[in-house]
Amino acid sequence: MLAELGLAALTLALAGALYAIVACLYSVRAGEVRWLQSGRNAALLTCPALLLATGALAIALLTEQYQLSYVYQASDPGTPTLYRFTALWGAQRGSLLFWSLLMSGFIAGAILLNWRDERRLMPFAIPIMMASLAFFVGLSLFIENPFERWWILVDMPAEQQAVSSALIPPRAVPPSEASLQAGAEGMNPLLRHFGMVIHPPMLYLGFVGFTIPFAFAVAALASGDLSNNWLRATRRWSLLAWLFLSLGLILGGRWAYDVLGWGGYWGWDPVENAAFLPWLVGTAFIHSVMIQEKRGMLKVWNMLLVIAAFSAVMFGTFATRSGVIDSVHSFARSEVGFPMLAFWAAMTLLALALLAWRWRQGALRDERQFAALLSRESLFVLNNVIFIALFVAIFWGSFGLPITSELFLGKEVTIGAPTFEFYVVPLFIAMYILMGVAPLAAWGGMALSRLGGMLRLPLLLTALSVLVLTIIGTDLLVAALGYGVVLFAAFVALVEVARGVAARRRLLGENPLRAFVALFGRNQRRYGGYIVHLGVTVIGIGVIGSTIFQTEEQHTLNRGETVTIQDYSLRYEDFLRAQAVDGRLMNIASLVILRHGDEVARIRPRIDEYPQLPMSIAGAHSTLENDFYVLLIRGDRQRATFRIYINPLVNLVWWGGLLLILGTAIAAYPKAQR
Amino acid sequence: MSQADWEKPKHPLKRKRSQRLQFITAGAVLLVSLLYLLVSGTLQGARYFITVAEVLEDPAHHGPTLRVSGAVDGESIDYDSENAIIRFEIVHIPSQYDDLAQALHAALSDDAAPRMKIVVADAAIPDLLQHEAQAILTGALESDGIFHASELLLKCPSRFEESSPPEALGQIPEHN
Repeated sequence: MLAELGLAALTLALAGALYAIVACLYSVRAGEVRWLQSGRNAALLTCPALLLATGALAIALLTEQYQLSYVYQASDPGTPTLYRFTALWGAQRGSLLFWSLLMSGFIAGAILLNWRDERRLMPFAIPIMMASLAFFVGLSLFIENPFERWWILVDMPAEQQAVSSALIPPRAVPPSEASLQAGAEGMNPLLRHFGMVIHPPMLYLGFVGFTIPFAFAVAALASGDLSNNWLRATRRWSLLAWLFLSLGLILGGRWAYDVLGWGGYWGWDPVENAAFLPWLVGTAFIHSVMIQEKRGMLKVWNMLLVIAAFSAVMFGTFATRSGVIDSVHSFARSEVGFPMLAFWAAMTLLALALLAWRWRQGALRDERQFAALLSRESLFVLNNVIFIALFVAIFWGSFGLPITSELFLGKEVTIGAPTFEFYVVPLFIAMYILMGVAPLAAWGGMALSRLGGMLRLPLLLTALSVLVLTIIGTDLLVAALGYGVVLFAAFVALVEVARGVAARRRLLGENPLRAFVALFGRNQRRYGGYIVHLGVTVIGIGVIGSTIFQTEEQHTLNRGETVTIQDYSLRYEDFLRAQAVDGRLMNIASLVILRHGDEVARIRPRIDEYPQLPMSIAGAHSTLENDFYVLLIRGDRQRATFRIYINPLVNLVWWGGLLLILGTAIAAYPKAQR
Repeated sequence: MSQADWEKPKHPLKRKRSQRLQFITAGAVLLVSLLYLLVSGTLQGARYFITVAEVLEDPAHHGPTLRVSGAVDGESIDYDSENAIIRFEIVHIPSQYDDLAQALHAALSDDAAPRMKIVVADAAIPDLLQHEAQAILTGALESDGIFHASELLLKCPSRFEESSPPEALGQIPEHN
């Protein structure tokens, strides 16, 4: 019943999306608004239809309907209820359906909220959004159907009797409940982590969110309305997509840190990089869009960035889901590879062709030219160059070099994490310096002496901080300089906020708190942006500390024995084996952490034994200063081996991430209509 | 007045040219720096990604740092936890395959397939280091005939992918 309901809802969503494309495009030809309205209604229908389909799959997972081969693949009778629900996005087929649901939700929001103001763009924006949705729903229906069921073909030889099919084959019967329950494969243990509950949905929201600015940009090109309307319609959607993508990346890092057991959070894995690429282009876009709004410049460039962001999302999706790339994150090898590649190429080429057409017409001519090197617009362009350089370097290392070397040398050439770091460190230094300087520069140009005057206080604070850090023990000059570069951007943001508050107090006589709140209310985008910059600097400090000063040691301890690492001591107290409610066996070590002789924490690193593989769950004592992170390697009651990491400042990476999210939310929050 | 009209366009034009020159110079310097970064990084860090058979057969691959991929033989895994040294063997898998899980299984079923001993020093034993996992190693084949790896990545496709229908399902339920 659930399978039939799911299939019917998926079919309805596909039909609705296809009808919406035809009706909206016909409305342009016929000049009749009722066709557009009809297309809009069909487009809006896709969201409840997909909600119904996803709901059917979720209920099937929760009620253990193992005849559905997806439920059979992604869960088993021992799976806890929470993970039974998250199994919805735990494997390819469910996650594709979930992806379509999120996309339809974003699209419904974009249509409803922009319908009144952006009617001219809708006849083209809706078809582009619906084409993307129809493509993914089509994949779910025809290639990766989550509603396929196991059937036994009674006329076939024993080894060919079991088949997985969405429709009921002739002379087929369902397998017995007992055999289904006994054979159910269960969830990948790597996904049984709280980070996996929210990391994929956030990342997907970020990915599908870029469909909206892309659709409106292409609609602007197709309709000829090349004013700033498309930017106005999509600015918040771009910020929202960027926010979710940022959150997804941060949570992904946290998941890797907690689950993969190597004490790090970013491994330059191709799939991680594939998710980082649209973030880089998106970041370039949300900066350069300001130049178009304020100065009427970079019109072609902004279009290119929006197209590149969507294209990077589609390429990343292809890379992850086709199985062509070896990665801890990738899905199984799948038939979706070629259709995804074709869809990616078709959408990208269509958008680029429209852009080239309008460009040749002269419809995208900039209203001003760059007047001075030292102007906000020039520095923002430089910021874009840095982000695009990061994009090119990471794309080259992850995909460009392996693919081209395979094509031209017949052998794959790859690079490892050290080379990625070689590429990105100088570019990130440049980014942090620009993050400090660019917001202070004036539109149109300014004298160097004036900019120098504005930078004096942040530079002084930076110099003082580096001096203090050197005195209190940051003995590595490179680290002190790294902190300096990052702190400079933070001080610029803090000084600018303080200047704003002081100006309000002076002019309006407000108290500091009121002035602070009013400052953010009056110019959400500017001051929300400063909070984002602060978040990025806090992340930077965490990355420098945890990368340069990480300590990693391995020790085998007898029960009761203590080992000292820096100013910590670790005492091995006990070891026990226990069985969890889901049946897995847990090997748990109890350890006491002491600092300067005083007990500060008790931790219990463990190894969980799943049928597929063992899973090491680290025990950690977290403070803002560092993480004392311990993995149990092996052991028994008498003796055990531990891998011990001290990761200085690593928690600033997560706290900085929260600041970044807060700042983006402030910048994107809709202003109250007066 | 007429002199002013004659004078006016001259200076902006000159200024415009000098500004354009500034932008072109800055852009060129930037582009060259970025290209240098990309090319020098690639030349330093690029590693051939090759198979076990290629490493063993070609003496040119003995010594230099390479990236090699193979199937992990579960029985050969040995972890010296006192000294944090992982030892295991990998078996040749072809560079092209349709299904990784099948390629790994076929490699380990073939007794004649080329094998290579691996040592990874100062490492925690990864959870994914299991029989029929794919190991991607960065390191060098030393004169002792052992591949000394500095980096180890693993993938276990057979454990999580939807495989062919389990035989248990092929039994027709009694109530039917």
